[in-house]
Amino acid sequence: MATKSPNRIIRWKETLEQLHFIANGSLSIIVFCVCFAAIVTIIESSFHMKIVIQNDSMVPGFAAMLILRELAVVVTALLLTSRVGAGIAAEVGTMKVTEQIDALKMLGIPPSTYLVIPRLIACIFGTMMLVVVANMACLLSAMVVSNSYLGYPPAIFLTAMRRFVQFQDLILAVVKAAVFGAVIPLISCYFGFRCEAGAEGVGRATTNSVVVGSIAVIVLDFVLSYAFSYLY
Amino acid sequence: MSLKLHEVEVAFDTQVILKDISLEVARGEVFVLMGPSGHGKTTLLKTMAGLVTPRKGKVYINELDFATLGGAEAFEVLKKLGMLFQKNALFDSFTCGENVAFPLRETTDLSASEIQSKVDLFLEAVGISHAKHLFPDEISGGMQKRLGIARALALNPEIIFYDDPTAGLDPITSRKIVDLIKDLQKKNGSTVIAITNDVNRAYQMATRIALVVDQAIIITGTPEQTKKHPDPRVQQFIRGDLKGPLTDNLGT
Repeated sequence: MATKSPNRIIRWKETLEQLHFIANGSLSIIVFCVCFAAIVTIIESSFHMKIVIQNDSMVPGFAAMLILRELAVVVTALLLTSRVGAGIAAEVGTMKVTEQIDALKMLGIPPSTYLVIPRLIACIFGTMMLVVVANMACLLSAMVVSNSYLGYPPAIFLTAMRRFVQFQDLILAVVKAAVFGAVIPLISCYFGFRCEAGAEGVGRATTNSVVVGSIAVIVLDFVLSYAFSYLY
Repeated sequence: MSLKLHEVEVAFDTQVILKDISLEVARGEVFVLMGPSGHGKTTLLKTMAGLVTPRKGKVYINELDFATLGGAEAFEVLKKLGMLFQKNALFDSFTCGENVAFPLRETTDLSASEIQSKVDLFLEAVGISHAKHLFPDEISGGMQKRLGIARALALNPEIIFYDDPTAGLDPITSRKIVDLIKDLQKKNGSTVIAITNDVNRAYQMATRIALVVDQAIIITGTPEQTKKHPDPRVQQFIRGDLKGPLTDNLGT
């Protein structure tokens, strides 16, 4: 029987399956949530600006900047941490306690290449794609609310947006997405591989992965925002 | 293919799991590990299979020190080993057929049709060809054991490790599994290293038996030698007595 080494780094089939799970499976929930986040941002900004400076004409521009630089990417990453990160930690943890990871090792397949790398690649590209879509959905809902609630028609929203934001903001949001997309599966796999026996062990690994993943997203967002502030 | 352990010690953090284990299993042997639960049998089996790295000592497979093997060499050795895990370790997102096909797809250059015919062959050999398209959680415990055996055999390993292959099975299914292990061993001429706590099954299949007690091997010998061994711990384990040296220090 002719043999081949199972140690190939990129596994396209598994990577595409994971990409489908991460991107396609998370799309609707992310669009739904970021739209509401954008609506709340517009309404709250208008309320406070009217109190402080008796004018909310800068709300569309500020909101567009906030959406592109922070809101869409962070909300997307946090939702992915709880949906995808928890899923990965539970899956890998269950594989650990049911000896499926040992079974992979017995076949000479390093669990890192079979389990981690497809999820890492898929999560990086999936998060980047989702953040682009989330930004578009967020801006669209902000534009609709600006029109219906604040009375600024789309043309004014777009003019304000052009004044406050640049294409670079979207690019940097996608860079942030790539970093978050790398961190989420790495943290989840780490806790999955360290999972202790039993249902309680899997539960603890899942909880830890979501908590640490969420903290990592927030801290990294601060670090990246600080670094990017030199580029604006 | 032979296997040798030389003064092996295994520890997890500060807890010593196995101490000073030396043994040799010759090609074609059916070597059975017995002993009370929690005394290190599974860890010993996993150490033999290269899944646990000893803190001290060496594991030799065909005279090669497993710890020193690089990626390609380690792969060459690993593909000659097969294992049935205690909890079967079946890939639950794959069907039964895919579980057997997986090692063939990952480690051989066989075409899809060749893999399918091999899958059919192995499932037929263990008597579960009707379950090919079912998922592992849709079949019984006995069938899961059979599927685990089929997957372990898929790459025609020279050494097969069975971790408690009859655990949780009724006596009839348990007998069938042991007969299957014996038949496949005779047919393939492979070396079998198995754990079982079922003394009757151990005598039925073993050419040699080792008893693991208190993290060490206290005896090795043929089934006949084991039955007549004067060590009271051996006799207590074989007879299943509640009182004796194995249970005295547990206060039972």
